Amino acid sequence: MFQLTDIPRILPEILLLVLALLVLGSDIFERWGSSDAARLERVRASAQLTAIGLGLIFVIALIQSGYVYTLPDDAPANFFTNILRNLQAGGPGPQPIIGAFATDDLTMIARLTFIGAAFLTSLLCLDSHPNSNPAEFYAMILFSTMGMCLMAGATELVMIFLAVEMTSIPLYILAGYFGEARSSEAGLKYFLFGAMSSALMLYGMSLAYGFAASALAGNSVANDLTQLSKIAELSGQGSPLLTMSMVLIIAGVGYKVAVVPFHGWSPDVYQGAPTPITAFISAASKAAGFILLFRLLTVAFPSLAGSAVFGESLGGWTSLLALLALLTLIVGNLAALPQTNAKRLLAYSSIAQAGFILLGLVAWAAPQQFDRDQGTSALIYYLVVYTLTNIGAFGALAAVSLAVGGDDVSDLNGLARRNLPLAVLFAICVLSLAGVPPLAGFFAKFYIFMVGWQSGAWWLVIIALFTTVISLYYYLRLLKAMFMEAPATDEPLPAPAGIMSAISIAVAALLILGLFPNLVLGIISRVQAVAGL
Amino acid sequence: MGLITLPTDIPWLSLIWLSLVVPSVLIGVIPNSQKQLMRIVGTGFAFLSLVLSLLLFLGYQPAAGGFQFVERLDWMPQLGITYLLGVDGISLAMLVLNGVVIFTGALMSWNIESRPKEYWVLLLLLTTGVYGVFVSLDLFLFFVFYELAVLPMYLLIGIWGSTRKEYGAMKLTMFLMAGSALAIIGMLAIYFGSGLRTFDMVVLARNVTMSGDLQRIFFPPLFLGFAVLAGMFPFHTWSPTGHVAAPTAVSMLHAGVLMKLGAYGCLRAAMWLMPVGAQYWLPTIAVLTILNVVYGATIAMAQRDAKYIIGYSSVSHMGLVMMALAAGTQIALMGAVLQMFAHGVMTALFFSVVGRMIYERTHTRQLPELGGLGKVMPFAAVMFILGGLSSMGMPGLAGFWAEFAIFIGVWEKYPLIAVIAAISIPITGAYILRAVYSVFFDEVKNPEFLTLPKLTWQEYTGAAILGAILIAVGLYPSVLTEIINTGVAPLARQLNDVIVAVGP
Repeated sequence: MFQLTDIPRILPEILLLVLALLVLGSDIFERWGSSDAARLERVRASAQLTAIGLGLIFVIALIQSGYVYTLPDDAPANFFTNILRNLQAGGPGPQPIIGAFATDDLTMIARLTFIGAAFLTSLLCLDSHPNSNPAEFYAMILFSTMGMCLMAGATELVMIFLAVEMTSIPLYILAGYFGEARSSEAGLKYFLFGAMSSALMLYGMSLAYGFAASALAGNSVANDLTQLSKIAELSGQGSPLLTMSMVLIIAGVGYKVAVVPFHGWSPDVYQGAPTPITAFISAASKAAGFILLFRLLTVAFPSLAGSAVFGESLGGWTSLLALLALLTLIVGNLAALPQTNAKRLLAYSSIAQAGFILLGLVAWAAPQQFDRDQGTSALIYYLVVYTLTNIGAFGALAAVSLAVGGDDVSDLNGLARRNLPLAVLFAICVLSLAGVPPLAGFFAKFYIFMVGWQSGAWWLVIIALFTTVISLYYYLRLLKAMFMEAPATDEPLPAPAGIMSAISIAVAALLILGLFPNLVLGIISRVQAVAGL
Repeated sequence: MGLITLPTDIPWLSLIWLSLVVPSVLIGVIPNSQKQLMRIVGTGFAFLSLVLSLLLFLGYQPAAGGFQFVERLDWMPQLGITYLLGVDGISLAMLVLNGVVIFTGALMSWNIESRPKEYWVLLLLLTTGVYGVFVSLDLFLFFVFYELAVLPMYLLIGIWGSTRKEYGAMKLTMFLMAGSALAIIGMLAIYFGSGLRTFDMVVLARNVTMSGDLQRIFFPPLFLGFAVLAGMFPFHTWSPTGHVAAPTAVSMLHAGVLMKLGAYGCLRAAMWLMPVGAQYWLPTIAVLTILNVVYGATIAMAQRDAKYIIGYSSVSHMGLVMMALAAGTQIALMGAVLQMFAHGVMTALFFSVVGRMIYERTHTRQLPELGGLGKVMPFAAVMFILGGLSSMGMPGLAGFWAEFAIFIGVWEKYPLIAVIAAISIPITGAYILRAVYSVFFDEVKNPEFLTLPKLTWQEYTGAAILGAILIAVGLYPSVLTEIINTGVAPLARQLNDVIVAVGP
């Protein structure tokens, strides 16, 4: 049953929705006209409202989660403590709301990641110029963020599907927003592939539903049949139908997170979409996909986990994912090598990164609970770091293409002489993607390798290690362009303050998380309580 | 040496690497126009780090031995990762070497006019990494510093280098990163294979619980991972191209210290933590190092570019170090560490003469084009000959004692290999003398050379310090050998005794 007290538990989602409507509404009610000056004014107003709103929602979600400060039980009651207590009443809780939406630690951390990513994206967009009604652009980002939050918490098939669509549809529109040939192509391609993957996923879900319905044969109430935990209960003895359903769901989500061989759409979409949106799609939407995959597989199909130990007992979803990871690492990294467009290069790099993230899921194959928990921590840590890094990298690229008008690798030439701070920030993001210490990207990779090794997938870890060496080659090409090549002109390259601050936040976080991973690992390790279901 | 007693409540080892992080941040905020200030700050802090490492050297108590000045802080306790620092005799010798080379290297960098800010920041970060590796006792921390020492090299060579710099920089980085990947495989194998779930090297070395089979499988990745940086055959090809392409101070640091980092990693991580694996593989490695020693020297003989000669001579000399490691007896290990020190100082001297004093003035390093420079810059000639004699193993200079100890040690274990490797001694003499003759004593081939600008005080000071150390260690080697021996003795014991404890 949905109760009134459940409202604080979905407060961030509600606030996101309200903010989106507010952004839309404020623009509608204040139609200032469509001259260039007026449009710029409208862009500013919508963008600032979005950024400020997202910042506030992030703070509220942070307070609600209680990760920074938890109100002690014996605190005196006054106006502020009452608000705080009411907020934190919606903090990490065990029971999913009407069996469909869990507000556990996984959801909390995922929410913070997505809202944070949306906040940084909105900073990146402060100076871009949507060509028609600006408010739509920002509201779409908010709707999509809300969808991601729902995706992270969904524990029921219908909810999952709705959340995935809620996330994707605004992103299709955003990808094609600029209306140029490339951008439209990106939007259409993204939509077609997205619809395909939704169909696959839906088919898989329908099989799971049918399986549950026939197993329970009428002894069920409400949404029992579609709840992940119910499916897990029924799947104890293993059934080919359920395996089929699982494979289809993995394929469906695989499209969303762009793992090989379901990656075909992503380079074109990443290249064609407006750069801040590329940052958002490649970081937040991918992270959301992985969190969904994690929850789906570990909650609904724990008995089909199998093992990724080479030669002995391959089977189950961990070995399937290990295979996908292998393909993703090799194809992603090799395909990035010859790219001459920086955006496309980073797109292939994001595909390759998905391979490392899959390793974190493969760690679920470890027999010991302790090692699985480590795997979960490694996965979430990697996702958080990856989100920050990718937003930083694409953000820096956005600043360059805004000033230069192109995003080829050669457009980065001599950036160090034209804008040293931007070049340094960009370089740090790129090096973090490459996994160079002491940046967070290094520890994330190392941790993933550790848990992967322990789960028995050492063969995959060794291959992954060598692909990082390959990846270094193309990451260094970006550095080479920025620091070694001669610039086309010597005049300084202006970078908008919004973008610079977004990248600076990301880079500061990368340094801090890299030097002191325990700052967040303590919080992340709470997710294990969920995963242990 | 135990000559002075240092207060124990000061985190000396953290200070030593922080003393280079601080200036790299400071230089980052100095305005671009203040080039002189950047140089002073950079050199000043480099000197500070040298002083700190000398203090530690004097404050170490050889009688007590073992690891001293230990610092321990929890970093990621749930994963067994600690911030654990400590030095023994081996790392102390390396610390002093690094201090000397970075200080003299900083002096040789005063002529960098293009983008000095980035140059100094990267140079100091690189050295931070080197110091960090020598002081860390936690394998994870060790690796973090190791990577920090390797990566700035890419930009340093690529931006400020010469001859085919981008190719050299990329080749070097790819080789070293492939080495790192191998090393990570070895690290993970130790972490899980030992069942101890810790990266604390002292704990891992004290209880070698990894099974003999696993050690034999995973010793090669870990050892080779670091050996790439030490320039071991057949993974040495990055090293001459890298050295030639790099700017002077970076060549000095690279050949002088960074290659030692590789050998140090082989010794400290691979051989110390997997003694059974080491026993199994070392004979094979010894055979490979013959190629290093003899082939490196022979190729050096055929070079016309003075920097290539030094580059291949480094391959040859580092081959001797690796050969001594492969012998694994106490005297061989002592010789290896002493050779690292002697070769570091000597190569730094070579590069400062060839790269800075000569190339910056004549803009050529080709032996046939040079000549008669002894008349123009007698000081450079004296220094080059001093380094050359040490390289040939002239008694009275540091190189002699090192090679002497190495050949004794290797003879004990593999007499045949020692004999074959000894062929390199006359070859070394030949290529050094040839270089000395054609650079300094041949007739002047280019009349413009007679009017070259005078040497600067930085060049005089830097080279004089390096030369003085070569002579001092040559005349009184026990200043180093005593301390080095306290460090290598437990390692040699580990290699020979643990076998009995664990079984083959």
